[in-house]
Amino acid sequence: MNTISAYRELTDAHKLQEMRNELEGGFLTVIRHYQAGILHRPERIRQAIRENDPEQVAMESHSLKSVCRQVGLLRMGEMAAELEALGNSGILDQAESLVEQLVASSVTANHELTHFCSGAALPRPFFDKGRQPD
Amino acid sequence: MAHILVVDDDESFRVYLVTLLTQAGHTVLEADNGQTALERFASAPVELIITDIFMPKMDGIDLLAALVNNRPLVKVIAISGGYKAMNPRLTLEMAQSFGAMDIITKPFQAGTVLQKVTRALQSTNDVVAGES
Repeated sequence: MNTISAYRELTDAHKLQEMRNELEGGFLTVIRHYQAGILHRPERIRQAIRENDPEQVAMESHSLKSVCRQVGLLRMGEMAAELEALGNSGILDQAESLVEQLVASSVTANHELTHFCSGAALPRPFFDKGRQPD
Repeated sequence: MAHILVVDDDESFRVYLVTLLTQAGHTVLEADNGQTALERFASAPVELIITDIFMPKMDGIDLLAALVNNRPLVKVIAISGGYKAMNPRLTLEMAQSFGAMDIITKPFQAGTVLQKVTRALQSTNDVVAGES
């Protein structure tokens, strides 16, 4: 999990601002669709793990990875990449704890994205539950 | 301004591309897989198709193959983030070998997409070299 711990903050405000500048009036429409995916896909991965369906875990995790990377949610993207790899390996032993982190992160990321869309700057440091700032 | 068809099974990416291209003045249709794309294209031909590669029902490679056989003049840009052991570059190089004019790797920047769309629309049907 070294790759995951390298990304301490969930959202990349610079990336989001870049998207807002590029999309102007369309930014909110686009980001709302990404938010929906960020909230719902971790739940689908969790369900696939409960059903012991590695292929579905890999597919849903792959989609979530792409979505997260596109909007600068790098740490969530790395979690999704690890889950995709576990799904592809067919061994889901470690997947349950990882998906719980992912679900918790998705709630926090969604909150941060909503905060960003409201026009306010992201509060910093803004960490996951249980994480302590340096 | 052009008529463009965006094909991606992921609604988030579709909305992103449709919003971006519509704001740039293009008329944009959308489809969530290759089969739907062919149906849309048959009823409303477009100058350019931007297609994801890995999709259910009919993937981007099969879509490219169908277009090359039946609609060789349409321009296609392939877009992908890779899948399983295939990294995006390999996937997209395969798409180019099936006739895609240009390729875009996910995650992408809006500016890159607009630049490649402009270049594809201005080009002849020769393959656009490389990815910038």
